[in-house]
Amino acid sequence: MTHALEQAGASGKAAPTARRLRPASIVAIVLVVLLALMPFVAEDYTVSNYRDVLLLALFALGLDLFWGKTGILSFGHATFFGLGAYGMAITTVRFGIDPAWAPLAGLALGVVLAAAVAFVVGFFILYGGVRGAYFTIVTLALAMIANQIAVGWSKVTGGDSGLIGVPPFSVPGISFAEPVAGFYLALGLLSVCLFMSLWILNGRTGLVLAAIRDDEIKARTLGYRTQFILLATFCTSAAMAGLAGAIYATGTGFVAPDLIALLLSTEVIVWVAVGGSGTLVGPVIGTILVWQLQERISSISYAAWPIAIGTFFILLVLVFPDGIPAYLVRLARRLRAGKGGKS
Amino acid sequence: MQLALPMLLNALTLISILLMVAMGLAIIFGLMNIINLAHGEFVTIGAFTLVAVQAAGGDFWLGLILAPIVGYLFGLVLERVLISRIAQNPLHVILVTWGLSLIIQQALQLLFGPEPQRVTGPFPGSVTFGHIQYPAYRLFLIAFALATFALVIVALRRSRFGLDLRASIQSAEIASVMGVDPGKTNARAFALGAALAALAGVLLAPLTAVTAFMGVNYLARSFFVVLVGGAGTIGGVAAGSTIIGGLETFLTYQIPPTVAQAAVLGLAIVILRFRPRGILPA
Repeated sequence: MTHALEQAGASGKAAPTARRLRPASIVAIVLVVLLALMPFVAEDYTVSNYRDVLLLALFALGLDLFWGKTGILSFGHATFFGLGAYGMAITTVRFGIDPAWAPLAGLALGVVLAAAVAFVVGFFILYGGVRGAYFTIVTLALAMIANQIAVGWSKVTGGDSGLIGVPPFSVPGISFAEPVAGFYLALGLLSVCLFMSLWILNGRTGLVLAAIRDDEIKARTLGYRTQFILLATFCTSAAMAGLAGAIYATGTGFVAPDLIALLLSTEVIVWVAVGGSGTLVGPVIGTILVWQLQERISSISYAAWPIAIGTFFILLVLVFPDGIPAYLVRLARRLRAGKGGKS
Repeated sequence: MQLALPMLLNALTLISILLMVAMGLAIIFGLMNIINLAHGEFVTIGAFTLVAVQAAGGDFWLGLILAPIVGYLFGLVLERVLISRIAQNPLHVILVTWGLSLIIQQALQLLFGPEPQRVTGPFPGSVTFGHIQYPAYRLFLIAFALATFALVIVALRRSRFGLDLRASIQSAEIASVMGVDPGKTNARAFALGAALAALAGVLLAPLTAVTAFMGVNYLARSFFVVLVGGAGTIGGVAAGSTIIGGLETFLTYQIPPTVAQAAVLGLAIVILRFRPRGILPA
């Protein structure tokens, strides 16, 4: 803890040396390259599935930016994903803007809406001193409020059945309607956000966030405007979720209230936790793994998936509280140590 | 004027329901500081106990007696097996209780099916005040909730168990030196909270659609009742339910009910910004 603070203080000059290539960055580069090769070997159906999964991974990255780096769990992050999706859907379906510009306008509205709601809520509760578990409860309520509005305000949101007919994403001149083009759009956005986050958080900002997570009062005493930094991180995290949601809606072509519901808020926590929270690249891998698993389990029974998530949460706490990768590393170490001891 | 009395009684009904649901949470979350996201499912378990009792030919009163016992035993086992191991870490409690709530919801749905369950209340008639008729069952519910509330307050203030509980919350170490078993006390308090929630479920069942997901509706609201009223006091629950329930009933007359619920939760967030320790801080 002191370590992080001292480094944060010193890194004003020492920053360049701190930016060596870290394991997380190497994993991220390998992952992005592998994904970029996928459309050459996979069919269109798989590619368009992966387009959606990569956007969900971007959503998970957004949550990890806040939860993983500040240690404060947001239980309502689907609110921001849903705001992005609904912002896009309402703009393109309801507003009657020139179709060439509508997706861009929808993207802007979705991201701004998500960031603005995060700003207002974050201002009230982060500056109000709400932290830890209380923050989690308030964000849980936020997801419920957002869901109730999505269901109840049917004139705008389409109510329970949602909105259909969201056009594929395009900018004037380029359309991303083809599965492969959509896939590269998703991968491009994900990689930009991932590498930016890794780069920024490897430096001074990351150290300040670590200091706040370890001891906020101490960090504030040393002159860091902790409430502002937390609020900025929360808004960035929400904007990323909104971005993912907006593009996701153009991929699937419709929005429904389950994009803004508690179950999705819960699932994104699972993705981050499986990959290891705070690692940024982990949640991306976690999303892909869990999605594959979900396909298998949901094909057995629709009810089995929530039960699997519930069981996972309990196991997560009791068996591997630091995330599955950390658990596997420890397990491997113990196995190796055991072998060494015997021989 | 014609509207005022039914509105007042409707507000009192909702306030009583919230009071019943949140009382258990005020013990589990307010006093013991355990963030129990499965609290809504304790309510559901109570309601389904009534469903099972009535399906087996029993009447409402048998359900009213059995549900708190079922809730108590469930809470006791849960606290001993899971919660007591992880109670120090709030994040772990959140994840485990939320996981549990997902499992209970799906399990109940698998057992009883997705369609709303049929339950019958004990008083089908209504009572007449001048020109206005009001369902007798709702009046019973209001009286029952107030009586239970009074009983719980007396029990926590006057009984040996209440003293033990307050002592072990203040300092588990010193309480154990004085001959109190904090582990046992915590388990019994948690179970009491679960029993109260199950009782609330029975009372609620004749008024709503009883489904496996009914508890979720009450989860956020009951947390806000405790937070707005002031965590750490049982008396705060009355203040919290009056504000949340009263506002919601009033707004429901002006705007659609779902939007009214959302507006009240939004307002509660604003209240917490200015009174982070609640209306009646401990």
